[in-house]
Amino acid sequence: MFKEWLEGNKFIILDGAMGTQLQAKGLRLGDVPEALSITHPQLIQDIHRSYVDAGAMVVYTNTFGGNRYKLEGCGYTVQQIIEASVGNAKKACEGTNALVALDIGPIGQLMEPTGSMSFDIAYDIFKEIILAGTGADLIVFETMTDLCEIKAGLLAAKENSSLPVMCTMTFEENKRTFTGCSVSSMAITLEGLGADAIGVNCSLGPDQLYPIVEEMSRWTTLPLVVKPNAGLPDPNSNTYDVTPQEFTHSMVERMAPLGVKIFGGCCGTTPQYIYALSQGLSCVKFIKRNVNVPSAVCSPGNTVIINQPRIIGERINPTGKKLFKEALKNNDIDYILAQGIAQVQAGADILDVNVGLPEIDEKEMMITAVKGLQGVLDVPLQIDSTIPQVLEGALRIYSGKPIVNSVNGEEKSLETVLPLVKKYGAAVVGLTLDKDGIPKTAQGRFDVAKRIVQRANALGIENKDIYIDCLTLTASAEQEGVMETLSALKRVKEELGVRTVLGVSNISFGLPNRELITQTFLTMALQNGLDLPIINPNVDAMTGAVRAYKLLTNIDKNSVDFIAAYNQQDKPRATQQQVQDIDLMYAVENGLKNDGAKIVEEMLKSIDAMEVINSYLIPALDKAGTQFEQGKIFLPQLIQSATVAQACFEVIKKQLILTNSSPVSKGKIVLATVKGDIHDIGKNIVKVLLENYGYTVIDLGRDVEYEAVLNAAKENDVHLVGLSALMTTTLKSMEETIALLKREYPSCKIMVGGAVLTPDYAEKIGADYYCKDAKESVDTAKRVLDL
Amino acid sequence: MITLESLNRIEAMRYLGCGSTPPDDNTKALLDECELKVLSACQPKYLYKYFDIDTITSSVTLKGCSLVLGGRDIVAHLEGCYGVVIMCATLSGGIDNLIRTLQITDMARAVVANALASVAVEQVCDRVEKLIDMQYNNCYKTFRFSPGYGDLPIDIQKDFLTVLDAPKKIGLCTGATRMLTPIKSVTAIIGLSNNTIGKKKRGCVSCNLKGSCQFRKAGNRCV
Repeated sequence: MFKEWLEGNKFIILDGAMGTQLQAKGLRLGDVPEALSITHPQLIQDIHRSYVDAGAMVVYTNTFGGNRYKLEGCGYTVQQIIEASVGNAKKACEGTNALVALDIGPIGQLMEPTGSMSFDIAYDIFKEIILAGTGADLIVFETMTDLCEIKAGLLAAKENSSLPVMCTMTFEENKRTFTGCSVSSMAITLEGLGADAIGVNCSLGPDQLYPIVEEMSRWTTLPLVVKPNAGLPDPNSNTYDVTPQEFTHSMVERMAPLGVKIFGGCCGTTPQYIYALSQGLSCVKFIKRNVNVPSAVCSPGNTVIINQPRIIGERINPTGKKLFKEALKNNDIDYILAQGIAQVQAGADILDVNVGLPEIDEKEMMITAVKGLQGVLDVPLQIDSTIPQVLEGALRIYSGKPIVNSVNGEEKSLETVLPLVKKYGAAVVGLTLDKDGIPKTAQGRFDVAKRIVQRANALGIENKDIYIDCLTLTASAEQEGVMETLSALKRVKEELGVRTVLGVSNISFGLPNRELITQTFLTMALQNGLDLPIINPNVDAMTGAVRAYKLLTNIDKNSVDFIAAYNQQDKPRATQQQVQDIDLMYAVENGLKNDGAKIVEEMLKSIDAMEVINSYLIPALDKAGTQFEQGKIFLPQLIQSATVAQACFEVIKKQLILTNSSPVSKGKIVLATVKGDIHDIGKNIVKVLLENYGYTVIDLGRDVEYEAVLNAAKENDVHLVGLSALMTTTLKSMEETIALLKREYPSCKIMVGGAVLTPDYAEKIGADYYCKDAKESVDTAKRVLDL
Repeated sequence: MITLESLNRIEAMRYLGCGSTPPDDNTKALLDECELKVLSACQPKYLYKYFDIDTITSSVTLKGCSLVLGGRDIVAHLEGCYGVVIMCATLSGGIDNLIRTLQITDMARAVVANALASVAVEQVCDRVEKLIDMQYNNCYKTFRFSPGYGDLPIDIQKDFLTVLDAPKKIGLCTGATRMLTPIKSVTAIIGLSNNTIGKKKRGCVSCNLKGSCQFRKAGNRCV
């Protein structure tokens, strides 16, 4: 029934506030409103009925906070609350055409990484509600602020129910949600995931919501929902400042002309508002929108429109990179994140993420990398794997609309990858190759592209979400193929009406002056219609070529971006001169990271790596450590010294890996912030210091399960584990972790630290060493491991 | 809306363990840079609400509110008070992102930004307290007492935030271990009284770092 309404030409009227009504009836602050569905069913039914009588065609069940986290301790299960609430709403609607929407609000905890709720937990919590609410006519998610959380909800709904789903999020006046989600990102992500209607609710009155709804109307073809507050609340009296008439006027005169389909009220609204609204809307006609949504991908806060060349950074990929492979094997996520940050700072608009390596669990690593990158960067990601399970793992947890890299013309690829692209609402890279390999001619590649586009279209994937890669061959080996690639690219773009993507670096393989060849080819490709160059953005010749192209083709109006990129460029520092004048001790003491690295590079030409470490680096660090203990320097300076040493170690490590020598390590240490604790800056400081004294740190991160600590220690034959806890509530986890280690791996020593720990307490819970600061953990490591 | 224009660097230096030693030029430059980053990443938000005290016995109950404030310390803190204002404040999630990113690219900056952000949320609380002062100006007030101080259990964080509707209104939440998220957030209780409030100053005895505080060990006090 609801789906028919959505497709029809009439407005759909929702109900108004439930919470406001309950508070008016004397609900105490802090009580669980959903429990009233069981204790006072008549009260709830009366409220529903008053909305139906006022003209509401859909009522929301009294289940906004009906999830297992919020209901904790209320005396009822989720199932009891949901079933009773749906029952009340159904009863209130008896004898009318009104429908019942299973109302689902935010869980009430923040998602990772700011909070500790994972996608899987959120999914499970939503699933429980959905399975209990099968009696409803539709499902509605409302007041959501986190794109990843509502995605978990929408997937849970789609995978466990056949009911239609409406999704509304709550924006502030700056057009962002609390977590920074933008209007466009919400719209394209949720439409891609199969929502039946989307919109906004709560936070503001109809006039303040107007610009948000106006923007949303340009970003989705779905029916729009608007459920504003009755204006803004007075913080003291908790009353709202817009009357039913004003509310209706704004909805009818401003929202309806935008093509809004579904209207209702949120906080502060009453049956009077809904009555006025239904009367007002009966005088105007629904306007069917005709909207052309741009080709775009997004993270929660950043929508990248593919209407001009956009750079895809290629560096998160182990192919041909020894250090990257090493990082993957060691689970060194920070290395990958640093690669991502550097590319974005250099000008990447989108990052390709490929973590495929035979020795590792690629799916797990991909999920970790995508989560990590989304925690520190705001650019959309391109998920790059040949394994469908890896793609799906990342597609599920990705917050926003990503690109899948890639599908190709082979039947097996088409039938496994394209359904994933459709289900998760992604864009897709289509490679112009099939079971016979890469066609030699432009015509051959065009034909494969056409087949991919047809198959994608048949599944409902639109042209704007298809990016065809006509494949760059190496000019040194197949010189005649270069122009074939470019003419295929041009034809694909013009005749098939899709976007184009191309990795360009291969072109110059095996030739001298590679940069010149690659840059020239990139410019040629752009001129032939390339939308998405996949390049190394850290090479300025590449990023610069894209910037210059945009300037010369009048895309970069008034050269704003070009000037911003180059006007303030740092003048080259006279480091050569300086380096000769300073020594390693000076560089470490003064936090001169680049200089330190250069000095070490020089030293390695004549001095053995271990000697550089033991005779130069460690003494310099020791001096900083002593000064720290004496109160002569403080934490930031100590860390800066350590950071210089880190840069020096990187140089040494790189050289050792390149010469295939064994990496230098003074011993392995497992570090973890204990289960339940998400404050990890202290642990990370300890990590930096330990690494710079030459120890290998196996960093398990934060909120770490007891067993994970034990397993990491045992598997890696580690003899020292460091645990940190910041909260009194998580000291218990520390104690449990220690108990497990002592029982299962008694030879392993344990050092602990954290703001609320004391030496006495550390001893009481069985730790071997208490470290009052990061420096003491280095001293402890020396004592335990330097025999 | 509260907007911070500058941050108390002396306090931040103290958080960094630098005591009263004046910062050297490097540290000064670091503070300058990080202060700008913190100021532009933070979006202060706050809520507060007044409640009449219903009963004070072994715990404190409030009228029209299910929150129960348990423990000797809060009972002593609110002795003689007729009502409380419960408040919360957060710098919002942008600060979490900033500190997280800096930890990858530059740990020294992360540490300094972290200290400055701790100062910032306290400054926001001071400003909120001023608003409360203006609104409830005919009475005496206690200092801000937070869940986790003394024996006031940190477990009340969830109910505390629910009463203020903080998750929905300002995006301030907690979880199983009752940590506040976003990271730089505060909850607090201020008692209102018709009589002067005795020498119950905010002190080490009621602090949740009692016994482990680094300042105290060095012979200093923060209040």
